[in-house]
Amino acid sequence: MSAQAGTAPRPRISLDSRLRATALSEWIKFRSIRSGPLNLLLTAAIVLLGAWLLDAQTRSGWATMPPGARASFDPIGTTFNGIQLAQLFVGALGVMTVTGEYTSGLIRGTFLATPQRAQVLAMKALVFTVVVWAWCTALSFPAFFLGQSILSSPAKHVGIGAPGALTAVFGAGLYLTCVGLLGVFIGVVVRRTPAALSALFGLVAVLPFAVNLLPSTLGSQVGEYLPSNAGEQAWHLLPGGAYMLGPWSGLSVLIAYVAVAALAAFALIRRRDA
Amino acid sequence: MSHTMAALSTGSAGHAPPTAYRRARAALAAEWIKLRSLRSMLVTPLLAVIVSIGLANLVCFNWVKKWPHLDAAHKAGFVPLDTNLNFVIIGAIFLGVLGALVVTNEYGHGLIRTTLAATPQRGLVLAAKAVVLGLVAFMVSAVICFTAFFTGQAQLSGGHLPHVSLGDPGVLGHVLGAVCYMTAVGLIGLFGAVLVRSAAAAISVVFALLFVLPALVSGLPDDIAKRDIVPYLPTNLGGSLYLSHPHHAVGVASTPIAVLATAAWVVVLGVAAAFTLRGHDA
Repeated sequence: MSAQAGTAPRPRISLDSRLRATALSEWIKFRSIRSGPLNLLLTAAIVLLGAWLLDAQTRSGWATMPPGARASFDPIGTTFNGIQLAQLFVGALGVMTVTGEYTSGLIRGTFLATPQRAQVLAMKALVFTVVVWAWCTALSFPAFFLGQSILSSPAKHVGIGAPGALTAVFGAGLYLTCVGLLGVFIGVVVRRTPAALSALFGLVAVLPFAVNLLPSTLGSQVGEYLPSNAGEQAWHLLPGGAYMLGPWSGLSVLIAYVAVAALAAFALIRRRDA
Repeated sequence: MSHTMAALSTGSAGHAPPTAYRRARAALAAEWIKLRSLRSMLVTPLLAVIVSIGLANLVCFNWVKKWPHLDAAHKAGFVPLDTNLNFVIIGAIFLGVLGALVVTNEYGHGLIRTTLAATPQRGLVLAAKAVVLGLVAFMVSAVICFTAFFTGQAQLSGGHLPHVSLGDPGVLGHVLGAVCYMTAVGLIGLFGAVLVRSAAAAISVVFALLFVLPALVSGLPDDIAKRDIVPYLPTNLGGSLYLSHPHHAVGVASTPIAVLATAAWVVVLGVAAAFTLRGHDA
């Protein structure tokens, strides 16, 4: 009301206070996503249950496991394998953070309040990153300790001080956060929930299968650089694949995908109508 | 409008209730209109056709290209039918998503309340949805599977690789198995979506059930629990239907068992969906 043209101009709002206000409103919207708490709880349940079930099964089958399989057994990768399922829920939360707002039409109110669209998206991504990273990192520690306590000797297990172990535990949280962010940016590009979810799940869950069907070395070459295959090196102790992407290089590949999606999202959110 | 009013005011003179046959026909027609006008109804099957046939041909093309460089052991392990039909694991996803969208779009727009007001027989509504989607899914799958089969085998025979034709023993059965599996996945998506209602949840369930769960449990070491679960997941049952040499770490369901178990997935989910639809408000 006070911004009527012709009346005395308001003082310009400083970038700092606008960003803070935007972050606060993004936090309120994120907090009130109806399926948000359920998604985060399911993520925790799957990661912890996965650690328990997968390691308990390995422990009981250890005696009959062939020596080759024992040598290539990855005590951390197996513990965290539930992430393959949990990433769907984190990714879905990322998608719905954005598409829910487009579906309900709230996005128009958001852009009316803050016409600086890039700042809106930046704060949205920031709030999502902080919450999801904190949650997923907080749950990867208990999952690690639970899994390693189940994998008691004679099964292969590692302590948190073992080389690479702490990296992998942090890597699990970072990996899930990256998949969620990929969901956020794909959500901005696609804007409709079903299509965005299908695109994200296709990218992280289906594409590795499709590439696997190719017989040539092309399959493994391309396959290793797919977002999920590269990123999951972050929560493995033993590198897999021919190129031996390490935890940080693998995670960097995933982050590069997120960056490309982010570029597209920032470009599109400024150009398109809401 | 006046017809609706008259039908609503029960007890007033005139208007006998419609016969079951007329009601079923009307429900089918309504479901067909809704399916036809679904925005994803064009995009999803189109993507399914392009991705499936493209993938099948890409895989066959790759084998043809690699063939001269392969050693005897690799050549002996080549199964022309399975190489060709491997795409079904991915193609089926599109039908699962389509089935889910048929339901969740209706809930998302609130159209379901109109549907149930027009046809209060909720079991009939669900049955009509399943019949219409099942027929569409079957036709789309048939187009995909037969086209992929003929083009894929043509590539293999063109490259002088071992190949099969539809008349060879068992081949037609496996191609039809692929069609039926993809149709079943469409119905699983439809019934699953009635259970969860939201598009996000339904699509997550479809991907988790068909893709992530089989990969996750196949990482378990062999033991009895795994032997009782892995072969009966929809994806692996599908493999038993359309592959001539299905290979899983632990047992494979035989064809009759796989047919029954796939049907059981559809029927159990269908019954659960019918109870949910009848028991909940819209």
